[in-house]
Amino acid sequence: MKITDACVYPYPVGDSSVRRFALEARSFGYDSIVAADTPTAVVCGITVIPGVFLAGIPAKDVQSRVKKCRGTGTVIAVQVGDNGFNRAVASTNGVHILRGIHAADKRAFDHVAAKISADNNTALDIDLSPLIFGRGHLRQKAIHRYIDLMILYRRFEFPLTISSSARSVLGMRAVREVTGLCSLFGMDETDVQVALAGVGRVTEPAESIVKVIT
Amino acid sequence: MSIRPPTLREKRRYLLAVIDPAGTAIETKDLYYAVYEAVVSLFGDVAAEAMQPSVLAIESGHAILRCRRGAEREFAIALSTLSACRDCTLAVRVLAVSGTIESLRERIATLVPQEPDAPTQEGAGEGVPDADPCEYRFGTTPVEPVVWHGHKVDVIEKGFKNTRRLFLTTEDLEKIHATTIPDGL
Repeated sequence: MKITDACVYPYPVGDSSVRRFALEARSFGYDSIVAADTPTAVVCGITVIPGVFLAGIPAKDVQSRVKKCRGTGTVIAVQVGDNGFNRAVASTNGVHILRGIHAADKRAFDHVAAKISADNNTALDIDLSPLIFGRGHLRQKAIHRYIDLMILYRRFEFPLTISSSARSVLGMRAVREVTGLCSLFGMDETDVQVALAGVGRVTEPAESIVKVIT
Repeated sequence: MSIRPPTLREKRRYLLAVIDPAGTAIETKDLYYAVYEAVVSLFGDVAAEAMQPSVLAIESGHAILRCRRGAEREFAIALSTLSACRDCTLAVRVLAVSGTIESLRERIATLVPQEPDAPTQEGAGEGVPDADPCEYRFGTTPVEPVVWHGHKVDVIEKGFKNTRRLFLTTEDLEKIHATTIPDGL
């Protein structure tokens, strides 16, 4: 079970190099990080997983992007949209994570989308950046969305991931701090541990339901 | 109101936190306002009053903070939402909680290198490489190291416009050698 930060943005989008992110991640208690537009590497014992974060594109284009990334070990995360889009993307084979639920409409992710996510092993991402950097209405809305998400999670048990969306090492938080922040919307320590291991759960190949016994 | 005897006083807890990035010059009062704003914005006025957050001192890049006993966890959560103080971006990371300030001061003494002013080389303690005449670059960008801490290097981009602080490692930096200029030039 690898403890993973599901999204960081290294240089040039952010102000920290991948190696620095890896160094800090090790001191914060992580085993791996998903970094945008970065090749696969192991730095200081930390596995750097390449990530593609898609936003603002139609579901059909998502499928074509998924085909390009297939077999490369890349984690594909898609920004959530309206309800129909989320259902379509959650059922797309190859999409690992749905991101940005904190900024979505309150009807964007319902029980049907949750069931589809659970069936297709597509994770929902809990982005901590609105809790850390947001104030007032933005943070209240994010906490409200995450509370709603946890209700669906307890019912359907789809995978969860946790990301800092850090553009700087100053935006990263240690596992202990993540546990504290997640307690604001009702996640206990066990839930946090499972969610931090969520990237490993969605990227590992699914076991076949039918087993051939020779 | 007269000072109460020790048995009637409220119990307090003291938190030791490191201020990231290293070398950030920050006033105690400014940090107090930032901490208080973080607590109030997250938990509200009533919880902030019950928590009684305070910044006691900033010593060697570490802050000693105080709260009422039983509120350490909430205070630590509020501190993790702290991302700026006045106009500088920072992070306050809680290292330890104690019942006395003295034990936290002893902890700081074990964390801070003995000679912080000495210029350090790669892999050593913390400091600024004043004695190193080499110039560095990150990719194609010339940079100036400001803080070295082990393999971690904080640099400032050289230039008129983009002079932001970058967080790198020693492996990311490349030395610009004057000796690499061809003889004919």
